[in-house]
Amino acid sequence: MPALDGMDVFYVSLDKSLAADVPGHDFYTIRDVSRRDRFGFIIVAFQLLKILFKERPKLVITTGSAPALIALLLSKYLFGSKTIWIDSIANAEKLSSSGKKAGKIADLWLTQWPQLSGPGGPQHWGAVL
Amino acid sequence: MFPFDRLIRMMDEWTAAHGRQDVFAQIGNGTYEPKHMKWTRKLDQLDFAKTVEDSAMIVAHAGMGSVIMADQYGKPIVLLPRIKDQGEHTTDHQLATAAWLRGKPGIHVADTDADLAPTIEVASTTARDTSGKWAASADPEFLKKIRQYVIDSLG
Repeated sequence: MPALDGMDVFYVSLDKSLAADVPGHDFYTIRDVSRRDRFGFIIVAFQLLKILFKERPKLVITTGSAPALIALLLSKYLFGSKTIWIDSIANAEKLSSSGKKAGKIADLWLTQWPQLSGPGGPQHWGAVL
Repeated sequence: MFPFDRLIRMMDEWTAAHGRQDVFAQIGNGTYEPKHMKWTRKLDQLDFAKTVEDSAMIVAHAGMGSVIMADQYGKPIVLLPRIKDQGEHTTDHQLATAAWLRGKPGIHVADTDADLAPTIEVASTTARDTSGKWAASADPEFLKKIRQYVIDSLG
């Protein structure tokens, strides 16, 4: 994450092997969940709460999906974190359903696709790729 | 991982038809278990990278994880987009992803089941141009703006 060089950063991922990419940083894994899985949402919410209580982030940044949306909600409303949502590059024609909901929550709401940006929608600052 | 039995089944048939011993599949939560390919449910990111590195070619859904990994190791990749109507994903966004990726270096898109085998054939006979890796890193301007926003909002 070159954009965050020199800052105190921790990572949350669905895949524990990604810890190897960010040596020297706190790293947590949570389980994946899709919107069809209500029980999974509760588990992920508890996993995230535990992490947030420990880390108390000032700012949360994510490229999306359902678990990330839960993280955004919890960190913003329970811990007062600033939040940045960058919608996944995989969504080229319309925003993900998580991405639409994130627009109501995130302090900064971005899409990686210029054609999806505009009034009432996310801003386009460029692509992560 | 959503199942993608349609692709796994077709690749299993392809493997048998070509008498290949060297095909490996990651099948996720699929119910179809390959009979002719070696397979596993899920590789973690490190094993996934190693597997891609050791491969001659990747055949995958139109997911950015696979595409970026193939790009990183300069391997040709054949994409079959997941279709919502077949229960392969919650939306049809992979059709758009595939449309965007079509024609990028080393990327080959199969639009239908019938296209898969011929597309693999084309991919295997087309050298991948690895001179310019397109997915290697983020737009520096983008990173700069994000960094500035983060600094401003931390005050």
